[in-house]
Amino acid sequence: MNDEIRRIQDVMEREAYITDRQIATSVFLATALGKPLLVEGHPGVGKTEIAKVLAQTLGADLIRLQCYEGLDATTALYEWNYQRQLLHIKLGESSTASMAEQEATLFSEAFLLKRPLLAAITHHGKPPVLLIDEVDRSDEEFEAFLLEILSDFQVTIPELGTIRAEARPTVVLTSNRTRELSEALRRRCLYLWIDYPSFEKELRIVRTKVPGLGEQLAREITGVVQALRKMRLTKHPGIAESLDWAAALVALHADHLDEEVVRETMGCFLKDDGDFQRMERELQGGALQAMASFAG
Amino acid sequence: MPDERAVAHAPGDTAPADLLAAVVTLCRTLRDRGIVATPAESIDGVRALGVVDIADRDEVRLALRSVLIHRREDFDAFDEAFREVWSIERGLPAPIPLPGPRREMVKPPAPAPARPPTVSLQNWMKPSDGDAGDSITVRAASDNESLVARDFSHYAAEDDEAFRALARRIARRLSLRRSRRWKASRRGRRIDLRRTVRASLRTGGNPIALERRVRKVRRTSLVALCDVSGSMELYARFLLQFLHALQNTFARVETFAFATRLSRLTPLLRGVRYRESLRDLGREVQDFSGGTRIGASIRGFLDRYPKLVDRRTIVVILSDGWDVGDPALLSDAMQALHRRSGRVIWLNPLMGGADFTPDTRGMQAALPHIDLLAPGHNLEALQRLIRHLAL
Repeated sequence: MNDEIRRIQDVMEREAYITDRQIATSVFLATALGKPLLVEGHPGVGKTEIAKVLAQTLGADLIRLQCYEGLDATTALYEWNYQRQLLHIKLGESSTASMAEQEATLFSEAFLLKRPLLAAITHHGKPPVLLIDEVDRSDEEFEAFLLEILSDFQVTIPELGTIRAEARPTVVLTSNRTRELSEALRRRCLYLWIDYPSFEKELRIVRTKVPGLGEQLAREITGVVQALRKMRLTKHPGIAESLDWAAALVALHADHLDEEVVRETMGCFLKDDGDFQRMERELQGGALQAMASFAG
Repeated sequence: MPDERAVAHAPGDTAPADLLAAVVTLCRTLRDRGIVATPAESIDGVRALGVVDIADRDEVRLALRSVLIHRREDFDAFDEAFREVWSIERGLPAPIPLPGPRREMVKPPAPAPARPPTVSLQNWMKPSDGDAGDSITVRAASDNESLVARDFSHYAAEDDEAFRALARRIARRLSLRRSRRWKASRRGRRIDLRRTVRASLRTGGNPIALERRVRKVRRTSLVALCDVSGSMELYARFLLQFLHALQNTFARVETFAFATRLSRLTPLLRGVRYRESLRDLGREVQDFSGGTRIGASIRGFLDRYPKLVDRRTIVVILSDGWDVGDPALLSDAMQALHRRSGRVIWLNPLMGGADFTPDTRGMQAALPHIDLLAPGHNLEALQRLIRHLAL
């Protein structure tokens, strides 16, 4: 195995991100080849975490752009600070500066509000990690705009000219697959698919991240969550849900699972009314034992 | 056509020749399996191999996979191709003779669908005197077929004012959606600060003229895929009349019919009376009243008309879900359709029956990839649909 990949795996584990070879290899390649990394997978498998841990690993700043429908260049790139601009014009009313001079001042960096993408490009010092989160939520126009930024790492602001990145940021894009991303965007990125973790891996995650959790309880929690992912549910629990649940059970001083305590804490890992009823039926059918001892 | 020879020059100095050959062969094998792997991918593949431990077979596989493959669905095909191309024993790629011209994809001949004994389209075109519905044999293997049939057997083909009214309401609903994006406008309610400040420069910073902006109108479009197989005989007549009305009211609608194959009906329905449309349909659509292969039809739709579906498209499938095709194919096609469209609505005429459960194989396979399953057996059911036609 490449030493650098092993090092990434070690460092990620030290940051309490339980990783595997595919993840470490992709993260390494993204930094080594300088290509954006597109991370796909079910909600709650730790896609966003990768960017955070990567920033820590590299000792770089993390700049995050959360995507949503209707997100446009203005909100993602830059905006002018209108209030300050207007104030500046008012204060300078008596000045004799020409209109061209006034305009040059008004549209200078002092009045520029940098949004995440511009912040990432103009960042000084160590190149930051740029996280473009849930890119599938944005629309096609924005995706096309991203392509431009991701290939050149430069933007043109009409009033200021072209701004080029001194050093390319490391880019991580995540997608929940609510929408198919364009072929062009996919092909510009390295691709990483994160599946739900195996029983063993999830057990390690739960035990690493939730202190004070007994061995038996950790196994039972992991077993139930893993079994739930095999059931037909509207919303399957992710790793975040297992962790929430484990933390809640620790707070309740539970040391093993019984039907009563599961019923009380179901809200930690089920987020849908229909799923609640399905779980309730399972409990009444006495399926808890089998679920809790699930191991792969 | 871009060729692998172009690649050989680019990274050739840093990578051993047999490694290069292996990556190129791998990309070729992937292309044979329908995966886009261009010279750009080959170059990245070789670059990746320059930085990982090439004696470690698994690492090589993982690295090449994240470089060459861009979606989860292609992982299996990649792993298979990798097994073929990379020699197992040494971890290192074996010297591989470059294969000859690209293999042709050989498609297995489609099995001829069994034609059920049903009436032809000719029956539809008889003067509708209201009793046609009673005399037609329906292939639907459902207990409540006669009940559902009665739902609309008394609709006369000419009397389509009700359909037109419904189509108008749907068109209005689809046209009024506002996008979250803004555009400049003289009469908007919101002030556009950017342009206002710009304009105020001319007047010494006094914003005399306020610039305004409005929400852009979102262009929602509709694609209807209508099952015209034997089991849908009666419903299809009714649903096509509805689609005909819609087609002539709303510009951004596309209509398709399918049974074993897919036919585009849009030009046949547009601008002519329903009765004339029917005559053309009978000529153009060969497989009316045949068996159903929903999965293959939807896949065919996605392949042949990829531009018709995006996030602003509502796809309406009108079918009873009786499918003689492969359920896995149906499931895959539905998943692809669902991911690419804004909303997938399945109208199932059998849902009009009291004891309907979506338990046919086809319905089961499609169910996870549908946003809404609703009845479509009468006009009232279609009217109720309106409030779901929003993105």
